[in-house]
Amino acid sequence: MDLQKAFLPVFTFARIGIRRAFRDKTAIFFVFLFPLIFLFVFGGIFGKNNGVSFKVALINQSNSAFSKQFVDQLGKDKSFKIDSKSNTLDSAKEKMSRSQLDAAIVLPADFGVVKNHQYPSGQAKILYTQNSQSAAQTLQSVLDATFTGINHQLVHADTPFTVTGEQLNTKSLTQFDYTFAGLIGFSIIGLGIFGPVNVFPELKKAGVLRRLHTTPLRVWQYFVANVLSQAVIGLCSMVLMFVVAMTVFHLKLNGNIAELALYITFGIAMIFGIGMAIGGWAKDQNQAAPLANIVVFPMLFLSGTFFPRFLMPQWLQQVSNYLPLTPVIDGIRLLATEGKHLTQLGPQLGMMLGWTIVVYLIAFRSFRWE
Amino acid sequence: MVAKKVAKPIVEVRDLTKAYDKKVAVDGISFDIKKGEIFGILGPNGAGKTTTLEMIETIRSIDSGSITVDGLDVAKQAQAVKYIIGVQPQSPAFMDKVKLTEQLQQLASAYGAKVDGHKLLEEVGLSEKASSYVENLSGGQKQRFSIAASLVHKPKIFFMDEPTTGLDPQARRNLWDLIKETRDKGVTVLLTTHYMEEAELLCDRVAIMDNGKIIALDTPKNLVQQLLKKGFKKAQHVEQANLEDVFIDLTGKELRD
Repeated sequence: MDLQKAFLPVFTFARIGIRRAFRDKTAIFFVFLFPLIFLFVFGGIFGKNNGVSFKVALINQSNSAFSKQFVDQLGKDKSFKIDSKSNTLDSAKEKMSRSQLDAAIVLPADFGVVKNHQYPSGQAKILYTQNSQSAAQTLQSVLDATFTGINHQLVHADTPFTVTGEQLNTKSLTQFDYTFAGLIGFSIIGLGIFGPVNVFPELKKAGVLRRLHTTPLRVWQYFVANVLSQAVIGLCSMVLMFVVAMTVFHLKLNGNIAELALYITFGIAMIFGIGMAIGGWAKDQNQAAPLANIVVFPMLFLSGTFFPRFLMPQWLQQVSNYLPLTPVIDGIRLLATEGKHLTQLGPQLGMMLGWTIVVYLIAFRSFRWE
Repeated sequence: MVAKKVAKPIVEVRDLTKAYDKKVAVDGISFDIKKGEIFGILGPNGAGKTTTLEMIETIRSIDSGSITVDGLDVAKQAQAVKYIIGVQPQSPAFMDKVKLTEQLQQLASAYGAKVDGHKLLEEVGLSEKASSYVENLSGGQKQRFSIAASLVHKPKIFFMDEPTTGLDPQARRNLWDLIKETRDKGVTVLLTTHYMEEAELLCDRVAIMDNGKIIALDTPKNLVQQLLKKGFKKAQHVEQANLEDVFIDLTGKELRD
């Protein structure tokens, strides 16, 4: 077959498909605004925190000058946030029981009082609940270090062994970086699965596909045209997401943009195959919608869309390794924020290629024009 | 007997059968369609008209029997048949939010062709609507556009499934003219209808189908003659005009859309 003739319908259908999407207000909402809403919600939750901070109550039962100074100094420490409203033991305990506070620091009445020595002394107490043990431990070592410093000033002693921390310059992921790759995965699902699952049964209902069936148009031509237009629309939406994430939420883009765009396009094409298989097979919405949900929900929860996969138990991580969306999200994170290259993504690319073959085989075999 | 030189029929249907879940929709029918005629299939709902049409159009599988379109076997050479047929579905069946010119480009591309959309639209009196969407056209405009779209690749045979259902008298008359013009350009037309006066005015020959079988096939005139020969008599009151004539007289032949 004449190659130029064979691709004429592909490009014509793709071009008109793209124009049509930009004329459709509902499509614009779901493709461009809907993912942005999620970005703002999740960005608002995870965007700001750099470094861990605990919420603690500080209950000062002492009147000594030292204790006041100490309280002032703790207030400046960034590693925890002092809840100024709970200044009695009872209110602190109540909030701790509801996990609104991680721990309470109690400075007893004799804290910082100068007794028989020439310098103030005392013992601070950390109260915590079963659920906040690790927070309490961290807090205890933070206070320990603070006291060591103070002790050193008060009592001059030799310190043969010390420990010091030094921040490395290697880039590590913030929680937002993790969440962002998941959000991209989420919008690929919306675009690649819910898009065709809604559109194809609609076109069948209107008889549009039946009309096309009477023309010499081949299924593969129609498929490729749809993948092309969807990839272009998808990339536009992704660019918007990246720009907002970088300007509003300070996402650090460490990787190569061309590689990332290529990878995302591949991801859209593969996921779109799932949508084509479902929407192309279904006679109407009633067949398409439940099947789409069955396919989408495991991916939405297990592929790292809304929470990182490393939080899951080991066996679940193993299972989720084989879901089609997992390599998409992992790959985007590795390329965009960890500065990896396509050549380092063998396992992800292999998994995606495998799924692409499976999904398109099913889509071709199950496609119905009406 | 004088040997008459008869052109080979453009469509030959032989013993065609189709059943859905044991219910026979088309029951061993045979007929020919001559080149350049308007051939009508008449029949009540469920008679098997649409199924027959869809089998000739290559989009419905054939249980038994054979169909040849311009010498091509529909069962074996479906792809080749698709290039020489044009199909107008019952409903307009176009994507929304696509301009008329884009619709034509898109359909032409399916045949590997490029077209001048404006010229095609001019032929059906829609050049002003080139940048409109199909959903913003009136019923008659939609049907006229649908014809232009189905003829985008200059097919030899044109299929129309109930083309005038739901149209007002003006739009119907306009569509009949368009169909005749299409025939006069040398395109063979196969249509289904359940309007008898449409068949009588428009079709060169009609086949009447019922329960999956063809129960009569001839020119409308001959069919009427045969009935009269059997001694059929209508209650005699010859009207010089009917209500539709009144309607057209009062509202004019001008298209409303």
